[in-house]
Amino acid sequence: MPFRRRLTIAFMLAVGVGAAALALGSYVVVRHNLRADSVHTAAREARRNLEIAPRYKRSDTLLGAYEGRGFETVGVGGGQTFQSSFSVGLAAVPTELRRLVKQGRLAYQRETVAGTHYLVVGGPASDGRELYFFFSEQGLRHELIVLRNILLGGLGIVVLLAALTGALLARRTLRPVAQASLAAHSLAEGLLETRLPVEGRDEFGAWAQAFNEMAAALESKIDALNDAQARERRFTADVAHELRTPLTGLVGEASLLSEHVERMPPESRRPAELLISDVGRLRRLVEELMEISRLEAGAESVHDEEVDLASATAAILRSRGWDGRVRLTAEPAVVTTDPRRYERIVSNLVGNALEHGGDGVDVEVRSDGDGAVVEVADRGPGIPPEHLPHLFDRFYKADPARAGQGSGLGLAIAQENARLLGGEIEVWSEPGEGTRFTLRL
Amino acid sequence: MNEHLLLVEDDASIREITTLGLEQAGFRVTASGDGREGLLCFRQGSFDLVVLDVMLPSLDGFEVCREIRRDSQTPVVMLTARTDLHDVVVGLELGADDYVTKPFELPELVARIKAVLRRSVAQPEDRVIDVDGLEIDPGAFTVKRGGEEVALTATEFRLLLELARRPKQVFTRELLLELVWNYGYLGDSRLVDAAVQRLRAKIEEDPKQPKLIHTVRGVGYRFDAG
Repeated sequence: MPFRRRLTIAFMLAVGVGAAALALGSYVVVRHNLRADSVHTAAREARRNLEIAPRYKRSDTLLGAYEGRGFETVGVGGGQTFQSSFSVGLAAVPTELRRLVKQGRLAYQRETVAGTHYLVVGGPASDGRELYFFFSEQGLRHELIVLRNILLGGLGIVVLLAALTGALLARRTLRPVAQASLAAHSLAEGLLETRLPVEGRDEFGAWAQAFNEMAAALESKIDALNDAQARERRFTADVAHELRTPLTGLVGEASLLSEHVERMPPESRRPAELLISDVGRLRRLVEELMEISRLEAGAESVHDEEVDLASATAAILRSRGWDGRVRLTAEPAVVTTDPRRYERIVSNLVGNALEHGGDGVDVEVRSDGDGAVVEVADRGPGIPPEHLPHLFDRFYKADPARAGQGSGLGLAIAQENARLLGGEIEVWSEPGEGTRFTLRL
Repeated sequence: MNEHLLLVEDDASIREITTLGLEQAGFRVTASGDGREGLLCFRQGSFDLVVLDVMLPSLDGFEVCREIRRDSQTPVVMLTARTDLHDVVVGLELGADDYVTKPFELPELVARIKAVLRRSVAQPEDRVIDVDGLEIDPGAFTVKRGGEEVALTATEFRLLLELARRPKQVFTRELLLELVWNYGYLGDSRLVDAAVQRLRAKIEEDPKQPKLIHTVRGVGYRFDAG
């Protein structure tokens, strides 16, 4: 349950219990007083009635004397019973009360007769007759019910007001918490300049101050990291750039040399061949280094067009002379993408598969909703699971002992290109079964 | 053969090996290591094609290209660094016919040069195309607009000829790359776009609202005099 709601409920309960206790207390006091008053009045009336009773020997005249005074009378005397109304008779007189009266005492008891509440006061008259007076307490009960209802209603209103006030208070109290939570979210999303307003000198103020100091520290740390990374990337780009001029010379020299390598004396021929192939390796490395630093610098642009990946993939495999070694299963999949980058991705993935997985590489192209899925699978030795997360890192080689032909940048370049096209490359591998790269565009 | 090339490249080693390679491919080569000096060479001699590096001391490759295009339609192939994508676009806009990125293999450069040179060879068997006041003569390698000759580079001329030979047909950039630039799969479509812009600037009355060479969005270009 949110803290705000708990706070609201706690406030509501505190106010509610207090108000209920107050209401109950006043109800009990008022009820007690009203009932005591009622007994007091009834007893006084009963005493007077008993005093005047001996003046009326006949029971009907006695009842006549009492008539219209607001109570009913039941009498017992001389072996007979008399009553002023059919509604109450001797049967209605509680036995305990009769016992007390027979002992000669004035006593009272509350009794309900046919749904009507009575205060029954009884006593012996001086002529020996027992007289019982039934005073109706309906009015009193009604007043108490009204009072109870008023108190309950009031209590309800107080609880409701307490809930509202509690909710408002909780919101105001917890506003800094809500703000901090929003701020933390925006920090997490990368808005490092997010700060909290420092209001007042209370605990929340101190907290906001601490939060801001944390955010500032975080910001400067991340800035420093970004700077370092940018410096590192710039250095990579600069190195690649500076290597290009001597490399251009090397590549030119090697390509000219390769035309004459056949006519070289045997002792210089092999070194020349190795030189030529090493220059090729160096060239690929530098070009890929330049490419990855351009990609990472975000300096690359995308030229989108409608491309059928099925025919584009077939053309890529054909142009590289791989169509004999790779089995292509393709259904037409037209997407808007950059064909040059797509070629880069596919040729890197397939080249990688051919290098590590040997022959028996399968490429599958199929459309998938708005996009397309391209799978490159080999049946090679597979990649141990601990290497999978780093597979797309620069210069990462699953097996350092195995000197591959690749620069170690191919998969990183493929992944960067895929991201540039709004896609992603995923890898699945099972040692002994093979490796599958899945490109989603 | 034996075309005379001007190579302007500042790095001595690259200049020497490129000269050597081009000579072995059968060209006559004059080499220069400086932009200003290269331009001077160009004005004094007569060359069939210029191979131009972008980064040059005293006067950069763009400036040299701009100066050459001021009064000459001699084909230009730029040597650019692929890191500077901007270079490619600027070079093409200034009128370069093709480009090769460093580092390059010599056979690659030779192939590009030969493809560009082939464009400037007249094809006498073709008839004169006359459309909407535009007179294209493949034999004489000339284009006249309203009787006045328009100076086109070989690339621009070949592009116009390919488009105008089949009016109303839509040409994809890839097809034009193959027909005009001799590129196979995946050449740089910016070559086409830049050449079309240059061509429009020369033959259209209002290059912003072309009446002859129309863009077919997402596909390519179409020649249609309306």
